[in-house]
Amino acid sequence: MTDLTVLREVAPSARLAAGVRISEFCVVGPNVTIGPDTILGRRCSIAGNVTIGSSNVFNEGCVLGSLPQDLKYRGGGTLLVIGHRNKFGRKVTAHIGTEFGGSLTRIGNDNVLRDGCHVAHDCYVDNHTYMGEKVLLAGHVRVHDGAVIESLAGCHHFTTIGKYARIGPRTPVRRDVPPYVNFYCEDVDHSPPAVHGVHESGISMARLGALAEKELRRALSELFDDESALQTKIEQLVNMGVEGEVADLCEFCQRSLRGVFGRYRETFRGQMPPEAAEFLPPELR
Amino acid sequence: MPTISPNAIVAQGAQLAGDVVVGSFSYIGPQVTLSSGCIIENNVSITGRTTLGPRNHVFPMAVIGASQDGCDAQTECVTGEDNCIREHVTIYGGVGAPTRLGSDILIMIDSHVGGGAVIGDHCIFANCSHVACEAVVEDYVRTSGFAAIDRGVRVGAYSFIGGFTGIDRDAPPFAMLLGFPYRVRGVNTQNLKRCGFCDDDIQALKDAFREIFNGQCEGPNEQAIARMLAETNLNPRIRRLIDAIQAGERRRRQ
Repeated sequence: MTDLTVLREVAPSARLAAGVRISEFCVVGPNVTIGPDTILGRRCSIAGNVTIGSSNVFNEGCVLGSLPQDLKYRGGGTLLVIGHRNKFGRKVTAHIGTEFGGSLTRIGNDNVLRDGCHVAHDCYVDNHTYMGEKVLLAGHVRVHDGAVIESLAGCHHFTTIGKYARIGPRTPVRRDVPPYVNFYCEDVDHSPPAVHGVHESGISMARLGALAEKELRRALSELFDDESALQTKIEQLVNMGVEGEVADLCEFCQRSLRGVFGRYRETFRGQMPPEAAEFLPPELR
Repeated sequence: MPTISPNAIVAQGAQLAGDVVVGSFSYIGPQVTLSSGCIIENNVSITGRTTLGPRNHVFPMAVIGASQDGCDAQTECVTGEDNCIREHVTIYGGVGAPTRLGSDILIMIDSHVGGGAVIGDHCIFANCSHVACEAVVEDYVRTSGFAAIDRGVRVGAYSFIGGFTGIDRDAPPFAMLLGFPYRVRGVNTQNLKRCGFCDDDIQALKDAFREIFNGQCEGPNEQAIARMLAETNLNPRIRRLIDAIQAGERRRRQ
């Protein structure tokens, strides 16, 4: 019998912490750092400048840190950084960033990415998000805390998914999705997706407190029950002197309206995104 | 000598050019030919009678030349130059007629090309695009995520296939195709400009599309086509569009 347990290829200069488990047929490149107790399933391939935190689980066939699928990409010391306690399903792919898009792809902590998910170059995925099977994030997408993206949804590049929002299954997301809403299309093939009320489990996960939640619900219903004249309605809310979550919601919507085709991050095309100041290592800024 | 990882398996009979790189745990079958400059990364499987042209880059976990029913000896697959085949892509070999890929193609993660499909040059397939067996995709076609092209269907050159779109019947060239069943939503102006079409041609195509398709799903407007064909000095691009539409209609009636 061939001893399969030795069939793995880890570059000598890869930095592996204690308790890292690397299964058969894995390939780990020279510029990879893996934190304690992270598990790589069979046939995982990690190349490029990748830093992975502690206690992550990668199932079979994940490919991390390979070259961006961007035709403008010409190489460069760009990074993929993954935080702690994330669960990756099978065949998940995540790419390193591009120099003109902020040089960094970042996945935060406690996220769940089910089978076949793709996180493209220069994406920022925050914490506690959930992505169902084959969710595709195109380049430069930001997913905020606690967002839920159901199976087969695809996000256009430069979109932003607000915190605790829910994207329905098989939804093409072409513009920013406000926080705390339920966003899907009624007829996938011939109607654009739209906001359909509040994402109930999201708003309860956020633990806002009774009063804040009531105000947020009122604002959401005012803005999105009928999406016409959104700009005026937001201005009215802002003039009333809202604060807390409602103020954040208004700011989010105003930014999206200022952007290109409802995508705020499109305004950072070709330059450093605002997140870079927070997350990018100083030598790359 | 090609650079072959000690953990890779290259079957006897495989022909590898001198500067080919084969990564760990990849399998290269006995009837495979890899031309110069090919980079095969780790965990790739290339089987059947497959020939990769110069400078093809195959990323981890891709499968090329396999057969749909498991017998790889009969399948055939030929690719051109400078193609980029990304992670988890499956390209099946054709039995009888080979699967043919042109040059300068980018096939993104998790896409699929069926056996006997023919793909032209400079195409870009976004993630999870599916080209079913025996489909024909002409040059400069671009797809968005989850686009699907049905078996035996022909997609005209320079067209753009939107996200989640299903191409269930022949599609015209120069078009934006969206929805399922797909509708022609106008001219793919961006791509035409990028490919060096002059403004007059684009404007002529726009006018022709407005007359022929008019936002309808039922099919092209036969009267408009007859009127255009009667015109003397018809723009060659429009001639090409009309030829493609008529060929598609003929195939549908068969």
